[in-house]
Amino acid sequence: MADSAGARAPPQEPQDPKAENKRLAVQFKAQHALMVGFFTLIAIFHALGIYLFCSGFLLSRLVLDHRSECAIPPVELQNGFTSGNTEKGCWHPKSFDKAVVVIVDALRYDFTVPFNGNETGQVEQHFHNAFPVLHETSVREPQNAFLRPFIADPPTTTLQRLKGLTTGTLPTFIDAGSNFAGTAIDEDNLVEQLVHAGKKVVHLGDDTWHALFPGYFEPELTKPFDSFNVWDLHTVDNGVTEHLFPLLDKSMAGKWDVIFGHYLGVDHAGHRYGPDHPAMADKLKQMDDVFRDMIENIDDDTLLVVMGDHGMDIKGDHGGESDDEIEAALWMYSKKGLFGRSDKAFIQPPATAKDRPVGQIDLVPTLSLLLGLPVPFNNLGQPIEEAFIGNDGKGFANLAEVARLTAAQIRRYQGEYSSVRKLSDLATSPLIPLWSSAQEAWQRVQETKRPSVDQWKSAYHAFTAYQAENLRICRSLWARFDLVSMTMGITVLVGSLAVLALFSRGVMSDRGALTPLLLGWGLAGTVIGGTVGTTVGVVPAVSFTQVTAFGAALGGVLGMSMGFYPAREALRVPYPRTFWGGLSALTCVMLCIGFASNSFTIWEDEQLLFFLTSYGMLMLAASLGLEDTADRNTGAYNSISFIVATRLASVFRLCREEQMPFCRSTYYASATSSTSATWQLAIPFIVALTIPSAITYFYHRTKNYQASAVIWIGIALRVGLVFVALYWVLDAADDGDWYPSISKALLKTTRVSLAQVTMALSFAAGYATYIWASPLIAVIEEPAAPEAAPPSLVESPDPSGGIFTSFAPPPKPRSKLIILGYANTHGTRYFLLPGAWLLALLLVQKPVGQGTLALCMISILNVLEIIDANNLRRSALGPTVLALLGSYYFFKTGHQAVLSTIQWETAFIPLKTIQYPFSPLVVILNTFGPQILCAIAVPAIPLWKTRPKYPGLLGRVAGAVATHMLFYAAIAVATVVEAAWLRRHLMLYRIFMPRMLMGTTVLLVVEVISTFVAVMGVRWSVTSVADIFGWA
Amino acid sequence: MSSTPGIKPIPASKPAPTPLPQAKPTELLHDQYSFLAANLHPVILLSGLALSFNRLVQDPVMTLARAAPVVIILQALYCFLCLPSTGQAPPQPKNKWKKQAKPSQDFGARAVPAFLSLLLTITLTIPALFLVLIFFGAPLTTHQAHTILLAAHLGLLATPQLFYVHGLDVRVWMQAASLQLPLDEVYGMSLGAVLGAWFGAVPIPLDWDREWQRWPVTVLVGVYVGACLGKVVGGYLVKGWRVKLN
Repeated sequence: MADSAGARAPPQEPQDPKAENKRLAVQFKAQHALMVGFFTLIAIFHALGIYLFCSGFLLSRLVLDHRSECAIPPVELQNGFTSGNTEKGCWHPKSFDKAVVVIVDALRYDFTVPFNGNETGQVEQHFHNAFPVLHETSVREPQNAFLRPFIADPPTTTLQRLKGLTTGTLPTFIDAGSNFAGTAIDEDNLVEQLVHAGKKVVHLGDDTWHALFPGYFEPELTKPFDSFNVWDLHTVDNGVTEHLFPLLDKSMAGKWDVIFGHYLGVDHAGHRYGPDHPAMADKLKQMDDVFRDMIENIDDDTLLVVMGDHGMDIKGDHGGESDDEIEAALWMYSKKGLFGRSDKAFIQPPATAKDRPVGQIDLVPTLSLLLGLPVPFNNLGQPIEEAFIGNDGKGFANLAEVARLTAAQIRRYQGEYSSVRKLSDLATSPLIPLWSSAQEAWQRVQETKRPSVDQWKSAYHAFTAYQAENLRICRSLWARFDLVSMTMGITVLVGSLAVLALFSRGVMSDRGALTPLLLGWGLAGTVIGGTVGTTVGVVPAVSFTQVTAFGAALGGVLGMSMGFYPAREALRVPYPRTFWGGLSALTCVMLCIGFASNSFTIWEDEQLLFFLTSYGMLMLAASLGLEDTADRNTGAYNSISFIVATRLASVFRLCREEQMPFCRSTYYASATSSTSATWQLAIPFIVALTIPSAITYFYHRTKNYQASAVIWIGIALRVGLVFVALYWVLDAADDGDWYPSISKALLKTTRVSLAQVTMALSFAAGYATYIWASPLIAVIEEPAAPEAAPPSLVESPDPSGGIFTSFAPPPKPRSKLIILGYANTHGTRYFLLPGAWLLALLLVQKPVGQGTLALCMISILNVLEIIDANNLRRSALGPTVLALLGSYYFFKTGHQAVLSTIQWETAFIPLKTIQYPFSPLVVILNTFGPQILCAIAVPAIPLWKTRPKYPGLLGRVAGAVATHMLFYAAIAVATVVEAAWLRRHLMLYRIFMPRMLMGTTVLLVVEVISTFVAVMGVRWSVTSVADIFGWA
Repeated sequence: MSSTPGIKPIPASKPAPTPLPQAKPTELLHDQYSFLAANLHPVILLSGLALSFNRLVQDPVMTLARAAPVVIILQALYCFLCLPSTGQAPPQPKNKWKKQAKPSQDFGARAVPAFLSLLLTITLTIPALFLVLIFFGAPLTTHQAHTILLAAHLGLLATPQLFYVHGLDVRVWMQAASLQLPLDEVYGMSLGAVLGAWFGAVPIPLDWDREWQRWPVTVLVGVYVGACLGKVVGGYLVKGWRVKLN
């Protein structure tokens, strides 16, 4: 911590002050450029480490754009059936024209089967025997109905399940190729095939469908309902029932072909009360009545499908991969009497979900072929036996034919996927003998004149075996963790963390002088390591890119460690030695350990509030102990302001699902909306009124409210913030139709232009001011006074500078020049930069987020003052508190560590359409706004109230920035290691993986911003100060 | 938190270079009753907590409200029996183990400050601590009774002895607030209570679904355990040490 810059021997009297000054200027600029290079290299190491880890952890499935076509069957059709006729059926004769497909969210299999407590000795729970209709009908009318366990592929979240149920493929956490908004399905699926075949598709219920299939449903008949409000058990269900039954009426025939209904009550009852609760029994009884009515009302030619998209665990939650969560129920019904069983024993539905389950992906080929559609291209499932075997249970010919079609489509997909992904033959080799034996079995049947049932059966089983093996291979390809790649990533991340720790907390000399060595060695190591990696990568068994990346990163980290060797005298083991250092390390370590627990990860926002208040209280305590009254008051008042601002911001929260029911969302108008309440529109105006004044208050304290500060903070920022406030009023006016007379297009154009002007003001005018401003000081002449020179003149003026102060002992007092704002020249000059960014960051926040981000800005200034009052500039305290502030306000701007809280719509604030790369950048500014603001403010810690000529200032800035990065790097490493460790944990997809993604993304964002905005920006502010006061 | 790195022993003879008079660690009164009472005090507090724990979990508000008067009396007795009141000459070491001449003589001189200490605790500290708890994230719109009672118990364990020993000297209180007082039994108990409350908040978010995770049980247990530990540690182990903040 203690770099010896301050204690360095005073520079010798230069021969030529001007030449010496010039030399120092060149030296600074060179050191600065190398510093930027050094931080860039660190960021590259981190990026490589994260890439390596994620490529092993987030194995992704490539989404193929191919569509199955009605006229092009995957294999030659037999029995004279011609493809391409939607009336008869595309690849196979169809059985139904119309279907009603109802999803009862979270319908677990054991909700539907009778429970007899006496037999098993178990205690009857509320969910038992409440929903018997499905079981009853399958036993009573086996030719009309069947019920089977329906196994979901985790993650068991509704969105992922709907993808699986409509595409027939396996979900992966991140599907490569997803579009920008990340929700709409862009691969071949059942709904698209229906619409393509000219069917009229209606949807009722959970609005997730509309995110997945935008624009596919009949707009007049479709009724989406908000799925977010888990506390409301009835609105969605009653709405679906109310709109569904009229459609079953004869008069509505021809208005629709397929209805997708989605009931949410069971799921919500589970989330709210759990399965063993009277409310669940009531809900299931209600469902029982609904489906009894539906059976009565449905006509003879319509297929009725009822299913759960997933189950629920003992507490009624889902998302993971436990048995209770994946075991749903599937029931099909029609009055045509088409269904059969291959064995009489199968008439009784399985007693538990462990017997005779079908996969959820099997629904897609089954429905497609029953409705006469082509099987979607990416499907991996197989047709369900009961639906094709015929009511006599002997139709193995039909079953073999549909199994063959499906298997052939799977084979076509397999071929495409392997060639696009360049999979080695090794992976798919087990499939080759299975396919050829299936072909042989089929050939044998074709060659026999009167094939026996057994022959058909063996052909059917051969194609099924092919499908099952292919599914197994796909599972292992997509759901497996590549431990080698993950270990490489962790190694690189841990190595660069160590380098960063040593650089930020273990260097006692001037870091500015050390960086050239580190950069040189680091680069050399990267090149050598990369070359070695490339050479090794030629070996075909290893991935070329991965080995090269690993070689480069590891070589770079090792090289950089070598770079420390010449400076070993000035190094020490970076463990904390002071109270504040210990506290900073303790908080960081506590957070890191906490991320191994799902509870602490879920409640991270409250934890950060707790930590920040602890810091506030301790800073208050430390300030109260100061001897100097002015320092004591400054420290104490700013600490109190910090504490109050932190708690005030904590009132605004957006709850994640897991925080229910102990959390109430206040970020938007209500828990179920994502628009702001009308009263919240006042917040931007309050911010516009107060924030510029608040910043000027801190400038006034040291008389630095001069020149460019007046123009930028006093005028430009104020005007910009009023624009921001107006923008959000216009936005609300558009949402709420306040002025029907004004066209929506006009409102939109006005508001987008307003946003663009604000952006320009922030980045163009803000940066221009920042780069070309003179130091924010003023010189006044004070008439002769008998007093001695004021303390601000003790520093000897630099002869090359523009300011001269008469200093020689005069016979009589002479007038003197006083520099206003001398004390905080560096700090205020640099702080114009966070000020410029603040405007853009506020613009892209929702109204409430603007209020909280403004509180963040005030807290940052409080911290700067407290650190100055306590003289803790070199402690880890400042950078750590700013990192905590950044993390905390992330939650206070309406985000959580889950993907669903990303505010995609903010991409449209300054743009009418999606434009790359600007739209993703705007979303990043919105998501990580607080972290960005805090990262830019970090250099202000060493610069705040530091005298203009201060040697080794750049090294100090580098130390603070590196400490700040160290915090985020530690969190990233912890979440990465914990996600790898807990990769079989139930909550991996819901809690640990999203937090890991956030940790790594934040690290990269903060490093890029710190390097290219903060450290880069220091050049202009320090140069402008040094141009006046001379170089140190 | 303020364990090893920040604390350094202060040499007893050399006064630190501050204009303020350096406070010395408080010494107990030197009679047998004081010694006995001072050591019985944490035992009573902890066994009281242990005995009423189940009731506390079941009905925190009632239990805490009923326990408050008992704690008030206990704290008053502790101050009265064991501590030198403000302004009283610090007891001379040579008197150790000797019975004081007549304790009833200065009854008033000790009872009045003890009463005032508790009065000040109730009127000044408890509202302030309630605010502090809210700042740390205690629920704002619900559970106010819980939070007030928690603040009451925290205040009762942390402050009467400070009022009793140090009176209302602003400079001393500044030192107390900035952790600059030397550690002793009295200050150790106060810091212990506060630190205990801090660590008591840690298990709240865990999803163990235990009854005792209810607000404010864990924090309250932290306060009691912390106060008793702090009292023993401050009174015996690290007596005279000072936290070094900056």
